[in-house]
Amino acid sequence: MKHLCVSLLLMSAATTAQSDPIDSALDTHILPRMEELSFTSRRLADVAAQDCTPTSADLRTAYGKAFDAWIAVSHLRFGPTETDNRAFAMAYWPDSKGFTPKALSALLRTSDPAIQTAEGFANVSIAARGFYAMEFLLYDPDLSVAGAPDYHCQLVQRVAQDIASTAETIHQDWNDTYATLLRTPGPDGLYRTEQEAKQELYKSLLTGLQLTADMRLGRPLGSFDRPRPKRAEARRSGRSLRHVELALTSMRDLAATLATDHPDIAARILQDFDQALERARTLDDPVFAGVASPKGRFKVESLQQLVQEVRTRIETELAPTLGVSAGFNSLDGD
Amino acid sequence: MKSLFMVGASVIGMVSGSAVLANQSADVLTNYANIAHAKYEDSLITARALNAAVDALIAAPSAETLGAAKEAWIAARVPYQQTEVYRFGNAIVDDWEGKVNAWPLDEGLIDYVDASYGGPTDDNEYAALNVIANSSFNLGGKTIDAAEITPALLEGDLHEADGVEANVATGYHAIEFLLWGQDLNGTEAGAGNRPWTDFANGDACTGGHCDRRAEYLKAATELLISDLEWMTAQWAEGGEARLAVVADETRGLSTILTGMGSLSYGEQAGERMRLGLMLNDPEEEHDCFSDNTHNSHFYDGKGIQNVYLGTYTRVNGELVSGASLSSLVAAKNADLDAEMRGKLDATMSALGALKDAADNGFAYDQMLARGNAEGEALIMAGVNGLVDQTRSIERVVQELKLDGIEVEGSDSLDNPSAVFE
Repeated sequence: MKHLCVSLLLMSAATTAQSDPIDSALDTHILPRMEELSFTSRRLADVAAQDCTPTSADLRTAYGKAFDAWIAVSHLRFGPTETDNRAFAMAYWPDSKGFTPKALSALLRTSDPAIQTAEGFANVSIAARGFYAMEFLLYDPDLSVAGAPDYHCQLVQRVAQDIASTAETIHQDWNDTYATLLRTPGPDGLYRTEQEAKQELYKSLLTGLQLTADMRLGRPLGSFDRPRPKRAEARRSGRSLRHVELALTSMRDLAATLATDHPDIAARILQDFDQALERARTLDDPVFAGVASPKGRFKVESLQQLVQEVRTRIETELAPTLGVSAGFNSLDGD
Repeated sequence: MKSLFMVGASVIGMVSGSAVLANQSADVLTNYANIAHAKYEDSLITARALNAAVDALIAAPSAETLGAAKEAWIAARVPYQQTEVYRFGNAIVDDWEGKVNAWPLDEGLIDYVDASYGGPTDDNEYAALNVIANSSFNLGGKTIDAAEITPALLEGDLHEADGVEANVATGYHAIEFLLWGQDLNGTEAGAGNRPWTDFANGDACTGGHCDRRAEYLKAATELLISDLEWMTAQWAEGGEARLAVVADETRGLSTILTGMGSLSYGEQAGERMRLGLMLNDPEEEHDCFSDNTHNSHFYDGKGIQNVYLGTYTRVNGELVSGASLSSLVAAKNADLDAEMRGKLDATMSALGALKDAADNGFAYDQMLARGNAEGEALIMAGVNGLVDQTRSIERVVQELKLDGIEVEGSDSLDNPSAVFE
């Protein structure tokens, strides 16, 4: 059941830095993506305010764009996304005990008034908030039509509002305080040395790759005897494979930034990413339904293997150039 | 059943190879193994007391004998929780612990449940199997003869049936469910309230199949004892777990820090404390049937602290103490050691406040309730302490590396995936 994978490795001290990967990561990777998340999430709330019909093409498009923007930052699980459990409020997944449908059914069944205010909604089960809850409300055959129609509409609007305000708070925190914390390590800072700041970025990259391989791909794969296609991420909206591509594309960008002083290593890492992305693009199985057949399973497994290879490359080649060890992440539990 | 894969962050550090430090490291590792042995032996001793109480319950079911068995279970958790810091990092413990402490469980596998529990789920076809009521059933296309409930049946056929981790048939939490029953109080105060008559003979029996329930309880308790005997032996002189730790100083020290960091952050702060709070769900409590979660958190934290300080007080009051990681760090960087000790202290006072509140009637269930600000503050103080101490643990990892004389032929550095295979 539980096999330890070594996910971090201490390496010898860093070579002299030639440029500042932290600045570039902030300016070209993190901040623009947080802005995009904030913008598309607000747009989702605006569209939902106009049209809360689950089948509405406008609403679904706006939802898809905002969810895309979230997946592109989903590896950045530190600082502003962790304060007040914001990342969980945006995205409670995986949900192995089915808390999201349970919590939504309970709200819809009782027309729970807690959703009437932002403050009230902030206190309901976190599984009823965010993009995965919205997916049930828009795409699940039962939950998209459950409850009193007016209440259902209010709930869609509340979830959208909540996503927008959480996204804006995350973005604002990055701009106002956290970017500076990361940029200016010091003895009294949150990050005491530049190495600690780099370690945070490196850790996010590894954690994101781990999540993609073990959860996004590993959960539906299950075991050979017992594939679990129903566990595919966001399968109701047909986004499972799309999330793998979006996450890899975004992490490729971060890796390129972190490896910028080492062109040879950067080239090898990017090549690994490109191989995985190419495999994903030609997979032709948007929700990994194929894991139940040997042939389909093989394709998903080979993609998973390519993602693992990216991770190994980063651990063995990128880590020493940054002088970092990976540290602990939220996937360390069981 | 939090995720398909347990991924322990493993800290492979390069530690100074100087002779003095090497000696000191070896002593630290020996003491770490001694403490492990004492903790598992204490777990075994208290589990045997539980077994005696279970025998008494089965021989003469009454409110008193059931109460005594529950008390014995709670006492048995005190040393066991302190072993959890050994789990991450020591592969031998990690591979084993699922039999002993798996959680959360779909308890309908084992016995009757309330109607609100529901039936089979998308994730688990056997969530409501009810082995106690059924002496024969189909499991994954195979007919299982459960006419007799034995340790072998629990361990071999039922535990993690159909590859679903929530099918927990063995260990502390299965026993806990049999003693307490479901906690149906939601986020109100109160633990599970199984009547003692669930174990009564003849017409007095409630819940049906009292003899089979007793048989299950006895089988699970015996299995717990044999599992703890095995693990205690692994940490004795010449035991495999001990040898693995002392064999290589770099890896040994890494193991200690991996255990401390993974339990602090991903497991306790994340899965066990923050998640339940976010979901307002009392079933996400670690010891949910018995409402013992506050103690569970407290002694988990305590285990992290006593591994760093190299001192453990046994259930009989005896002290096991020796060379500590703390003194090793202090020799290199006294400030960092002080920081680390301070953070561990801060966590323990937060977890202590949580335990006190619960002991004084503010049940952990209530703390999880939607909008309960006071409960949230108590739990989050513990979470924040654990998260904060993880940063310092990472600094200790870095510090032990900084004197960096490369450890020779370290597979852990060249081929990380090979280390814990």
